[in-house]
Amino acid sequence: MPDLVWFLIRRLFGALLVMLALSLAVYLIFYAIPADPAHLACGKPCTPDRLEQARHFMQLDQSTLQQYLNFLKGIVAGRTFGDGTAAVHCNAPCFGYSFPLARPVTTLITDRLPITASIALGAAVLWLLFGVSLGVIAALNRGRILDRLAVGVALAGVSTPSFLLGLLAILVFGFWLNMVPVNGYVPLTESPVDWAWHLVTPWIVLAILQAASYIRLTRSQMLEELNLDYITTARAKGAGEARVVLTHGLRGVLVPVITLFGLDLGGLLGGAILTEKVFSMQGLGDLLISAVGQLDVAVVVGVTLFSAFLIILANLVVDIVHGVLDPRVSHG
Amino acid sequence: MSSSVAGTVSPTRQAMRRMRRDRSARVGLVVVALLIVIAAAAPLLVRLAGQDATTYHIDLLDPARGNAPRGAIGGASGTHWFGVEPLTGRDLFSIVVLGLRTSLFIAVVVTLITTVVGTLAGISAAYFGGWYDAVLSRLLDFLFGFPQLVFMIALGIVVPARFPRWLLLILVLSFFGWAGLARLIRNQARSLVAREFVEAARSVGSSGWMVITRELLPNLLGPVLVVATLAIPGYIGAEAALSFLGVGVPPPTPSLGRSISDSIAWVYTGADPWFLLFPGAMLFLAVLGFTLLGDGVRDVFDVRLRRTN
Amino acid sequence: MAEPVLEVHDLHVTFSTENGPVPAVDGIDFAVAPGQTLAIVGESGSGKSVSSSAVMGLLPSNADVTGEVLLDGRQLAGLPNDELRKIRGNDIAMVFQDALSALNPYYSVGWQVAEAYRLHHDVPKKVARRRAVEMLDKVGIPDAARRADSYPHEFSGGMRQRVVIAMALVNDPRVLIADEPTTALDVTVQAQIMRLLDDVQDEFGTALILISHDLGVVAEVADDVLVMYAGRAAERGTVRDLFFRAAHPYSLGLLGAMPRVDVPPKPRLTTIPGTPPGPGSITTGCPFQPRCAYTHLVGERCITERPELTPRPGEGDHEAACHLGRRPEVIL
Repeated sequence: MPDLVWFLIRRLFGALLVMLALSLAVYLIFYAIPADPAHLACGKPCTPDRLEQARHFMQLDQSTLQQYLNFLKGIVAGRTFGDGTAAVHCNAPCFGYSFPLARPVTTLITDRLPITASIALGAAVLWLLFGVSLGVIAALNRGRILDRLAVGVALAGVSTPSFLLGLLAILVFGFWLNMVPVNGYVPLTESPVDWAWHLVTPWIVLAILQAASYIRLTRSQMLEELNLDYITTARAKGAGEARVVLTHGLRGVLVPVITLFGLDLGGLLGGAILTEKVFSMQGLGDLLISAVGQLDVAVVVGVTLFSAFLIILANLVVDIVHGVLDPRVSHG
Repeated sequence: MSSSVAGTVSPTRQAMRRMRRDRSARVGLVVVALLIVIAAAAPLLVRLAGQDATTYHIDLLDPARGNAPRGAIGGASGTHWFGVEPLTGRDLFSIVVLGLRTSLFIAVVVTLITTVVGTLAGISAAYFGGWYDAVLSRLLDFLFGFPQLVFMIALGIVVPARFPRWLLLILVLSFFGWAGLARLIRNQARSLVAREFVEAARSVGSSGWMVITRELLPNLLGPVLVVATLAIPGYIGAEAALSFLGVGVPPPTPSLGRSISDSIAWVYTGADPWFLLFPGAMLFLAVLGFTLLGDGVRDVFDVRLRRTN
Repeated sequence: MAEPVLEVHDLHVTFSTENGPVPAVDGIDFAVAPGQTLAIVGESGSGKSVSSSAVMGLLPSNADVTGEVLLDGRQLAGLPNDELRKIRGNDIAMVFQDALSALNPYYSVGWQVAEAYRLHHDVPKKVARRRAVEMLDKVGIPDAARRADSYPHEFSGGMRQRVVIAMALVNDPRVLIADEPTTALDVTVQAQIMRLLDDVQDEFGTALILISHDLGVVAEVADDVLVMYAGRAAERGTVRDLFFRAAHPYSLGLLGAMPRVDVPPKPRLTTIPGTPPGPGSITTGCPFQPRCAYTHLVGERCITERPELTPRPGEGDHEAACHLGRRPEVIL
């Protein structure tokens, strides 16, 4: 399929361009910062001399554009701050260096990513299954008790902020019923059972809330889909109701659902920030919030760009899945 | 068939009739009206209760329990209707109703700004088309690709501390908020622009402004109203989330999100769950009320909002 | 006439709606024999499509169907859905008006034809596929083995309608219901599709029910004609009865609205003034009376008494529901 290959190349190239534009915008915004990172690094007492030294060491004495180019170069080739014994190395791909934490941003992100990813992906699988199946059930029982129930759950779900439900879950299941651990994270590699056990509450909380919009979307799409002529054709062919719904109806429903899923996955980092705070887990959100508190610009820029990267990546994947799911989407 | 029969009753009249029939819309309307009255009259209510949101009542706290309020239900009493805040002893009722006022104020202002900007941008892009439309569409793509919540948090580092946070919150939420409406209105308006009556208005020499205000705007009123109503609960949630993360409205202005954030420690230990429950219930009610109303308005205007590109 | 394969007696269809029950079909009878073609003619809203959907058991759940639907003498109306399912697509198949919307856009045409076969034959996918290709070939899809993998949107309108016909014929049905099969096509393609239907009918001895408002098509292929107006039969007879001895003013109006090349041209085509009444809006008298040019020749009876289908003396099975009692003169 040379068509598909070309389509992929073009989309990848486009995504790269967007990423570049985004990184430039983010860089310009955050390095227009009034608080000088060097000021914080040089400590007390901070003589003008030492400040100048710090600025030079952190490469902040160069023009903003030059700094941005250094940043780009660091991604490809890595960077070295200072020289001699005091030199600090940041290996490629280098997305900046956090002087307050004395670690490359890339390392900080990859250290924290498993936590955020564990929360997000586990919940995503749950809510996709839960949301789509409840939405289908609601559509098939339109107006009946199951439909009302699902619509009610969905309404309560979209009306509850995640942090609120999370705290309620901790209160009820963690404190009153004492069933699940209320906070903390155990790496998967250490103990898969403990890992899942600590994550089960955030998963369910996030899943319930996110499933709400999937119930609503699946339900309304399925109701529309069931009115289409080809559904009547399927019935006229003698297909049973289950086959009509699952083989002929669901396929069309999945296209918008996958779109929403891709967008949500890309934006999950944002949602995970709230969840991390509620469940006291040190993921990327926690990294970002403490970096804001410490005016650690390199980390803030790094995490912002990383989450933008996730969104762009998710959009790319959605486009490709679209092409696979819907034969009418042309790659030409 | 529909045009000849339904045409005898005006669309507004039809909408009102459907509104009266839709039960959840009615419930939403009542809840929203109640919330708006509470929020508007919050300072009055607080004075009526003989309280304020800033005075500490250390005497109502129990040092043996880590300064949680004394008594049941978070120390609720005839004077402190929702009890008091742990650690400070401030009146929780005052904090909750004034916090609601903050939430609704920010959400409504942001909705007004994004609705006006989004509608104008969407309609003008559809009407003028060409490079203007192309540039705007790219800008919307860019905004959609932006990690909004992350960026809003990160922005806290850039903006000087003396810049009022509530204004920053409004500006940031508005900056990202108009894009969705603009895209929807652009797509709807584009199909209108291609229709005969717009063509007719143009051909008799109506100016662009006339066409936009007389022909396009009235026809887009339904979708605009629906999106605006459904946007409000989103902004209430967003404001609460940012305040929850500590980058929203700063103290001492009461905020539901911040109170909920402050309650985390008291929830973990189970020492004072009421500190979560009162602000939490108010926040839930606010989002639910506007969502119900928004759903009702959507059904009333029979607007299909589909995610399309 | 041979023994009919499908007989419908006193069919009533009533939809329950928010505004009370709405009768869509108000007591009609028809029958069709193997190899024969019955045309059901009428304006949109006359109940002709509802009748065919009722035969297939494809009406939504708010439709109340009474009367007899006999397939080889076996009553279908009221059968449980599971039993009906075995008949749909197998004994009675349907060709829809708009092939583009009648075909599922997400599946290849070969898959869709094969599915229709597999729903009624317990065969491996490969066998079904071979049968599908054979069928596509038979309806005149060039290079059928390769084109079977194409999706509906990749075909022209005429080719798509051929696919729908292949899908309907894949199980050798005894009765084929074609609901305006050529309306969405341009004239030359229309002729090809009608010839195709005619050919398969000859080959398989299928009974064809052709639902149409195009009298030109009807004149060419039909054996018998049923003219429907406002959910009731206005006139019934052979195609010759209708075209040479039309006995109902409405039929006459339809003929007047049709361009003809077999008789000397009239000064202009006539139209029937007014629009058909909404379903259930006329409860007494003749439903056509408000639009009828002959009412003054009959008088009060047209408004007070509902005309029943009565045999035309000396014209075999020709029947009309009109108080006029004699053949209406053409009024120009």
